[in-house]
Amino acid sequence: MRAVWPAARAAVRRRRLQTLVIWLVTLTSTGAIVVALGLVDSASAPFDRAFAKEHGPHVVAAFDPAKVSDAQLRQAARRSGAEAAAGPFAQAAVDIPADANRELTGAVTIVGRPGPGGPVDRVDLWAGRWADRPGEVVLNRQPDWSADALGKRIRLPSGTVLTIVGYGYEMSRTADAWVAPAQMAALRPTATQMLFRFTDASSQSRLRAELSTVTSELPKDALTASQTYLTLKEQIGATARAYAQYLMAFGFLGVVVAVLIVANVVSGAVISGFRHIGILKALGFTPGQVVAVYLTMVSVPAVVGCALGTLVGNVLARPFLRFVFTGPDAGMLHRSVGIAPWVNAVALLGMPAVCVAAALVPASRAHRLSAARAISAGTAPRAGRALGLQRALAGTRLPRSVSLGAGLPFARPGRSGLTLAAVVLGVATVTFATGLATTMTRFGETGDDYDVTVYAGRVSHGRIVEPEHGDRRLDAMLRALPGASKVTARGDVEALIAGSVQPVMFEGRRGDLPRLGDVLTEGRWNHGSGEVVASSAFLRRHGLRVGDRLVVAKGDRRERVTVVGETMETDGRLLVGDWPTFTALAPGEKPISYHVKLRDGADPAGYARAARALDPGLDPVVNGPNSSVETIIGSATLLTVMLAVVAALGVFNTVVLNTRDRRRDLGMLKSIGMTPRQVTVMTVTSMGVLGVIGSLLGVPLGIAGYDLVMPRMANAVDIVLPSSLTDVWRAGVLTLLALSGLAIAVLGAYLPARGAARLTVAEALHNE
Amino acid sequence: MVTDDSGGETVVRLDGVRKEYGGTTALDGVSLRIRAGEAVAVMGPSGCGKSTLLNMISGLDRPTDGTVVVHGEDVGKLSEKGLALYRRRRIGMIFQFFNLVDDLTALDNVALAAQLTGSPARQARRRALELFEELGIADRRNAYPAVLSGGERQRVAVARALMNRPALLLADEPTGALDSRAGEQVMDLLLDLNQIGQTLILVTHDEHLARRCASRLVLLADGRVAGEHTLEPSA
Ligand SMILES: Nc1ncnc2c1ncn2[C@@H]1O[C@H](COP(=O)(O)OP(=O)(O)O)[C@@H](O)[C@H]1O
Ligand SMILES: [Mg+2]
Repeated sequence: MRAVWPAARAAVRRRRLQTLVIWLVTLTSTGAIVVALGLVDSASAPFDRAFAKEHGPHVVAAFDPAKVSDAQLRQAARRSGAEAAAGPFAQAAVDIPADANRELTGAVTIVGRPGPGGPVDRVDLWAGRWADRPGEVVLNRQPDWSADALGKRIRLPSGTVLTIVGYGYEMSRTADAWVAPAQMAALRPTATQMLFRFTDASSQSRLRAELSTVTSELPKDALTASQTYLTLKEQIGATARAYAQYLMAFGFLGVVVAVLIVANVVSGAVISGFRHIGILKALGFTPGQVVAVYLTMVSVPAVVGCALGTLVGNVLARPFLRFVFTGPDAGMLHRSVGIAPWVNAVALLGMPAVCVAAALVPASRAHRLSAARAISAGTAPRAGRALGLQRALAGTRLPRSVSLGAGLPFARPGRSGLTLAAVVLGVATVTFATGLATTMTRFGETGDDYDVTVYAGRVSHGRIVEPEHGDRRLDAMLRALPGASKVTARGDVEALIAGSVQPVMFEGRRGDLPRLGDVLTEGRWNHGSGEVVASSAFLRRHGLRVGDRLVVAKGDRRERVTVVGETMETDGRLLVGDWPTFTALAPGEKPISYHVKLRDGADPAGYARAARALDPGLDPVVNGPNSSVETIIGSATLLTVMLAVVAALGVFNTVVLNTRDRRRDLGMLKSIGMTPRQVTVMTVTSMGVLGVIGSLLGVPLGIAGYDLVMPRMANAVDIVLPSSLTDVWRAGVLTLLALSGLAIAVLGAYLPARGAARLTVAEALHNE
Repeated sequence: MVTDDSGGETVVRLDGVRKEYGGTTALDGVSLRIRAGEAVAVMGPSGCGKSTLLNMISGLDRPTDGTVVVHGEDVGKLSEKGLALYRRRRIGMIFQFFNLVDDLTALDNVALAAQLTGSPARQARRRALELFEELGIADRRNAYPAVLSGGERQRVAVARALMNRPALLLADEPTGALDSRAGEQVMDLLLDLNQIGQTLILVTHDEHLARRCASRLVLLADGRVAGEHTLEPSA
């Protein structure tokens, strides 16, 4: 085997371009794979991952310190079946006037905790340090905020002054700020906080049962409030969950494309080396040695490329994933976003393995080939093959350089096949990705057809402050505020469907815009009482279809309704009807929110301020510029571009190598009088033919892939996509896609062809 | 097959031609005259510059210094396109390793040369077939180069070289890759061509073959002309 290394080294040196191409392709592909897998990893169950990472509390409970002592709580936690518990921590509610400071104002919950760690609710202390002494405070903030207030002081109404020494973050929002336990006495705590994790945290009822086991031996009424993580999950995960499927589709596509392109380039390298293989065999290399030479030749740049690609991928992935997971909810997931170790392991071990495997297939063919056949194999089309076509082309009125170029690809089906595969793959990928990105963008743009949501009822100090005004009065006041254009009230109530024990949410809507941005996938909107629209998931869960009738029951009241439409919603419990039906079912039930659409140009923040001033029980939230939509559009665009770059590079490289292989032929043609221009035209034509065929195959393939994957993907999360979202193909875009495939092939041929045309013939022939 | 039968006219004139590749000097001041209808054999040890000399004449490469004039045209001054047209019209080349286009059949390889000058395919094929018949390879016309024997390939190459009735036929060790019998056949072919007036420059290692078909022998050594001999035409 001693001869293998020098031979491989010499071969690498003689094939600088090819080595560079393999290196470049493995580098970009591996980089793309790292980003793609990182995406798949982060997009799958983002909430669960982040929550598990910080050992988030399944239940946050507040106890009355007057009724139960810390020792009792500790004992109860130990005796219960809780998997882990943290606390007791003293908890105080402090009202800080808005003009006191900029960092911490309003109704604030402060908790005394000895440190950020512990068995439950691990705080990510992302700036500064923990509040170890009285007089210090750590604020609960998302890590994408700036920490520039470190060292500033906060004066509480009681006179206590706290210096900000750190910033921490946890998703469960168990406190707005933390201080050292010794500080708490001065803050006059009103509650004692306990944080629990349970082995079975699958449902609300399970969690309730677990909590009652904990409290069973405690004095009655000791538990004053509790909150489960399921509510949090519902809020936070919603956006990410809705887009996870698209992001994952992109990720998988990236992996598949990268692997195929690497395989393509690597096997191309081996095939174009057949003649060299024959020579090695003639020299006395054993078949095993020949395979070894080729594997070494291909593996060295590939492994280097993979290693560097992993590095590049990691560098790129961080800002990329942060960008993808930016937004009101997703920002909370920042910490869980990043490249998991398994992704790097897959990239570092998997990609070189793919390269070697891709090289092994043609190399093993070379292994079996006789030396004589190998010498001619690289260059010898079998007699008769493509003869008819060549003849037909030669007989046409096309300039000979064009007809010759058009016929060339058919003479070497092996190599042309690889080039064609690269083009088809590239065009199909970009087509698919474009469709996916378009749907994703449209999906993101649906909904949220209002500017400000005004919640009736505001949470303050762990208590709900009810509005002072009645429903109708609030509605009128909100309409009367400057800027308001349309107001829709929304209320919901838990109800049952006759014949089912699963509770459903019956939502009643009243006002100007009862659709609230929901997207109808089938049927029509409800026009009057007794008509409802339901989410696809709801209908599926209950085995219903548009047109079916059902009975909704609440207590002893029953309403007979007809499903007239199906909406694109992932909430499987949701049933939407009009206000009279809602109140018939639940008389006296009030709206939980008012959705306000503003006149063009009105300032949402100003409106929200005005709404807050109307009633202390109102909590207006500005929907703002829809940042999650921006995130989706941005990430879809980025991913499409990334895939397009990898695909384009794959096509380009294949074509460059293929053209490069023909250098000797080009020299020969020049020796019998072909002009440099003719040489260029011929080469570009030959690759252009492949580009055209590849595009013609690739575009429909990409569309077919989209048609196959898209509905299934939506189906998996119980969504039916309306045609307005899936009708993404425009003739203009498709033409552009097809042309881009052709353009890349032509460019990939043009550059080396021009180089070859410029070469003096003596050089071209001499090098052989 | 003769384009110029004015016996004594000088077709090729080299004056002080030098060619350097990086550090190596392949030709070092070569001056040479070749008249129409002559058959000149160029001999010398390997690496002495024989192929380079042919490349200068055929315009496959340009001299570093000196002039190459063929049929009154200063080859070194032609543009790339001009060189291509020059090769098409005036030069036919035969190489040791045939240099056929692997992707084309034997006949199309030959027809290609004419098609480059603008001949319609049908006419080019007809002329190619004539040549194939003359050279005794008509039955191999639809075969690809890879399945032809060395002798057959070289005859295809000769046919291609003759396609445009070149003023000058250049052969670079045309028998170097052939066994002696196939080599003889190719030599006979060249001799026949010369006898009907084809000007021929032939690079060879084989003195016997040189004597058989050349009228003049040019000896090259280290890029210089080391001697010239007029040969008696052999019987
Ligand atoms: N394209 C080229 N690039 C670099 N060196 C060359 C090239 N062509 C020929 N040479 C060098 O020029 C010298 C003469 O070569 P050549 O004319 O091929 O010799 P011959 O045909 O007599 O064997 C040799 O040293 C050869 O290495
Ligand atoms: Mg030579």
